[in-house]
Amino acid sequence: MNGQSSRRPGPGRLLAIGAMLVVLLSPFLWLLQMSFKTNDLILQFPPPLFFAPTLEHYRALLSSAFSASFLNSLLSASFSTAFALLLGVPAAYALSKWKGGSRHALGFAILATRMAPPIAFTIPFFLFYRWIGLLDTVTGLVLVYTSFNLPLVIWMMQPFFETLPPSLEEAALVDGARTRTVFLLIVLPMVAPGIAATAILCFLYAWNDFFFALILTRTNARTAPVAVVNFMNYEGWEWGKIAAGGSLVMAPVLVFSLAVRRYLVSGLTAGAVKG
Amino acid sequence: MIGGSSAAKGSIDADRRSFGRWALAPSLIVLLLVAGLPTLYLLATSLTPYQFVNPGSSTDFSAPLRNYRLLPGDPRFVNSLWVQAKLSFWGVLFQVLLGMLLALLLNVNSRFVEFARTFFLIPMVLPPIVVAVIWKLIYTPDISPLYYAASLLNFTMPSLTSSVDFALTAIIIADTWEWLPFTFLMVLAALQTIPDEYSEAALVDGANALQIFFYVTLPFITPILVISGMFRLIDSVKAFPLIFLLTGGGPGSVTEVTNYYAYLLAFDFNEIGYSSAVTVVLLLLVLAVSLGVIWMGRRREAMV
Repeated sequence: MNGQSSRRPGPGRLLAIGAMLVVLLSPFLWLLQMSFKTNDLILQFPPPLFFAPTLEHYRALLSSAFSASFLNSLLSASFSTAFALLLGVPAAYALSKWKGGSRHALGFAILATRMAPPIAFTIPFFLFYRWIGLLDTVTGLVLVYTSFNLPLVIWMMQPFFETLPPSLEEAALVDGARTRTVFLLIVLPMVAPGIAATAILCFLYAWNDFFFALILTRTNARTAPVAVVNFMNYEGWEWGKIAAGGSLVMAPVLVFSLAVRRYLVSGLTAGAVKG
Repeated sequence: MIGGSSAAKGSIDADRRSFGRWALAPSLIVLLLVAGLPTLYLLATSLTPYQFVNPGSSTDFSAPLRNYRLLPGDPRFVNSLWVQAKLSFWGVLFQVLLGMLLALLLNVNSRFVEFARTFFLIPMVLPPIVVAVIWKLIYTPDISPLYYAASLLNFTMPSLTSSVDFALTAIIIADTWEWLPFTFLMVLAALQTIPDEYSEAALVDGANALQIFFYVTLPFITPILVISGMFRLIDSVKAFPLIFLLTGGGPGSVTEVTNYYAYLLAFDFNEIGYSSAVTVVLLLLVLAVSLGVIWMGRRREAMV
């Protein structure tokens, strides 16, 4: 980060940036405005620039089965995030103290789980769940999402541990403290921001999943993304509901991801490039 | 005195090692169980003619390579690889090129631009299924502003997602919109590490903006262009929600990528064994590209 471009943007460039922003965001904004329109208004062209927004679609969703799907999404994403952190944070700390080949091997294992097309895991998981009766349960989803978030946690947390000054831990160790105590009382509080960022990223990955939920759930454990698609298949073309459902699914994502935008790339490239 | 401190150091090391084992073991066991075992299970299933309607076939290893022998002669499988190649090639090309141009445009020092950058990231962070819904709205003639705009210009737009000629293009456009922010973000980060002195020196030597781009900027960001392109290449295999919602693999099998074909085989046609074989091939292809990414990542780390 030495030498940021010292050039100040001219008015032409600012105009171009503004225009690009409008063009790129217009499909997204179209969905958003649609969710506040009545069904008649949605079909009306030319579209009115100003209209009285309605919350009817949101209200209809909240009193339908969609709220249960929303809760399923919330539960599976939260629990899988918690489990992945519980297992992965100590592992990342232990690994950050290691040197050499085994770390590279683990880096590759992590990358492989991240790169593999989901279908490669879906078939075995589906067969296994059918056998032990975990199909269409939130528990089943939590298990799948934990397995995907665990490598992410291990990968993302290591740099945070590496930046800690080793003298701090050593001083406590020489004073007779156990490694366990040092980890819990000294190290963990210092990496709290890193844990928060990792947690948000894990939550988002689980929340955004469509493929696993589509195949591993039917009705009981259906998540919000699958429920939105079901508005298209079974209940006719209810565009207002579809738009409102889509907006509800993306709401937490927008809020959270803007909070962790600094870490978005290191999460996406986990395993190959150092964040 | 000296002996005492080394003994203390020894006990610290032992304590540390034991902590390391306890900290790592649960994660390694879980990773093995939830990632290692399923992979083995997939491999085993790919060697059987397993179908849901015929449960006994799940352990029938009498003709282990039968599925793999069928693959080259399956026109739908061969076609799916070709569709994936086209989708990946054009998607990655547009994403890298447009992402780079956007990064160049936004690589300036200004509070307003820094604020605006965040909003450019929105498509990438949206749930993929919401991206698919957004483009479903754009591609559905009755409710689409795009079709309305075309009608204002007296131009009748063909139905993009159900046309043999345009369906794949429609997917590529949506995929590019979704992932452009990723390449943009990576290239922008690389651009910001270029020391100003380089371009200033070139300016003093009388170079114009285009020459500075080709001789100073481009060589500097080429590695990151390649790496971000490879990442997109690997992830282009996962364009499932877009295809699922926009075209369903159709019309015919025009947009049926290998991932989608494997999904249909397993969960529509109940051909679990054959679908597993298709998936294994896909997995090997992705793995090969991933190894390339790692190799390049390491080389780049060594260079810096």
